[in-house]
Amino acid sequence: MAARRNNPSGIVPTIQNIVSTVDLDCVLDLNHIALHSRNSEYFPKRFSAVIMRIKDPKTTALIFASGKMVCTGAKTEAQSKLAARKFARIIQKLGFPAKFRDFRIQNIVASCDVQFTIRLEKFACTSHGAFSTYEPELFPGLIYRMKQPKLVLLIFVSGNVVIAGAKKRDDFYTAFDNIYPVLAEFKK
Amino acid sequence: MADTYCPDCKRPTEVVFDHSAGDTVCSECGLVLEAHSIDETSEWRTFANESTDNDPVRVGGPSNPLLADGGLSTVISKPTGASGDFLTTSLGRWQNRGSNPDRSLIQAFKTIATMSDRLGLVATIKDRANEIYKKVEDQKPLRGRNQDAILAACLYIACRQEDKPRTVKVANGATKKEIGRAKEYIVKQLEVELGQSMEMGTIHAGDFLRRFCSHLGMNNQAVKAAQEAVQKSEELDIRRSPISIAAAIIYIITQLSEDKKLLKDISLSTGVAEGTIRNSYKDLYPYAARIIPSWYAKEDDLKNLCSP
Repeated sequence: MAARRNNPSGIVPTIQNIVSTVDLDCVLDLNHIALHSRNSEYFPKRFSAVIMRIKDPKTTALIFASGKMVCTGAKTEAQSKLAARKFARIIQKLGFPAKFRDFRIQNIVASCDVQFTIRLEKFACTSHGAFSTYEPELFPGLIYRMKQPKLVLLIFVSGNVVIAGAKKRDDFYTAFDNIYPVLAEFKK
Repeated sequence: MADTYCPDCKRPTEVVFDHSAGDTVCSECGLVLEAHSIDETSEWRTFANESTDNDPVRVGGPSNPLLADGGLSTVISKPTGASGDFLTTSLGRWQNRGSNPDRSLIQAFKTIATMSDRLGLVATIKDRANEIYKKVEDQKPLRGRNQDAILAACLYIACRQEDKPRTVKVANGATKKEIGRAKEYIVKQLEVELGQSMEMGTIHAGDFLRRFCSHLGMNNQAVKAAQEAVQKSEELDIRRSPISIAAAIIYIITQLSEDKKLLKDISLSTGVAEGTIRNSYKDLYPYAARIIPSWYAKEDDLKNLCSP
């Protein structure tokens, strides 16, 4: 794993959720899967996929008839891959020739606390206003769409920051390093 | 009086425009530069109480640059008197049915006009909203969204651009969430087109305070006190929507004066739920001494304030 770069504040964002996709490369019979597994739900009228959950790692998977699968809820990349493999194993045991193709992490959500309150109105008025959307009536946090790396940060008055849209761990470390000095400027 | 080049004097001279004869005359040599100029002001004045039967006006309404052809149109009307003739009655109907590219635009403008009348908005804001709607419509057809939400969002943005923000609830039509989403969409479209203008500052409680106070009929003292209180409250760290803060401050101020307003009245005029006002009041109560100006209420009155 890449070395963790810290900025002078010593704060490191913690990952809350990882969403990944994998292709099982075979057509699946969702009814069969739903009937023969204990931990799944399938309501075709509501949503055309089986929703399956496993206890360890505590994750949820959406399994589609085309053989594609979405795995959510893991806290690290390794756990996400492990969980996806476990789901694939379950599908295999049910009798489908499942493979493990194209495992990709699509989205990583992380959060952290900068330990000071932030003046959001000032933030939105400055040169960073082009990237920010702050609409206190609609949502109490400022939505900052960073261009490089391309992800979204939700910045709250309390100092909590949520980073979403990263594909790699390094992305959100970079993003946090970029945003920390800017936030420090607008400390209350 | 204007300055134009006079061919006789061979230099720019003062030129007088004579309205009665329609002549443009050089004031130095008396040469008529232009005769029979066409008057572009209105020919007839219309009054409200005059009968609409005998309307001598020969021109239509003001030209609207937003519409495709400036709003020009010819309408086939029914001849007065006998109307047994199939052709005359049907011609009007057929003309109306013909394709009119502006039909949806005109419909939308009418809806925006209705909404802005209801809110009592100036024509400037209404025109802005029309412009915004037209720009968005040009870019991408917005079939997939709630039409009402888009129109309400246009109006909301127009108000914000003119520095007279209205609460999202007031510019109604669809739910707050729908309007919010429509607003984001529109802002993005406009930024794509103009390349980043959209100077819409964040809303502050003070913008709305004046309006809420006059809705409730508070007296001048109270209004001034409320405005000062809002200014001071901006420095505090209160994590609530500015509208809720404004509503809570109004509640405190009216509780301190003799003319107490019910939570229900405040909730109705501000659009904030009663529970939210109560919660914001709970947040503001510890700082009451700091934000309420001392000339308005003494310490004892503050102690009388019911604790939440």
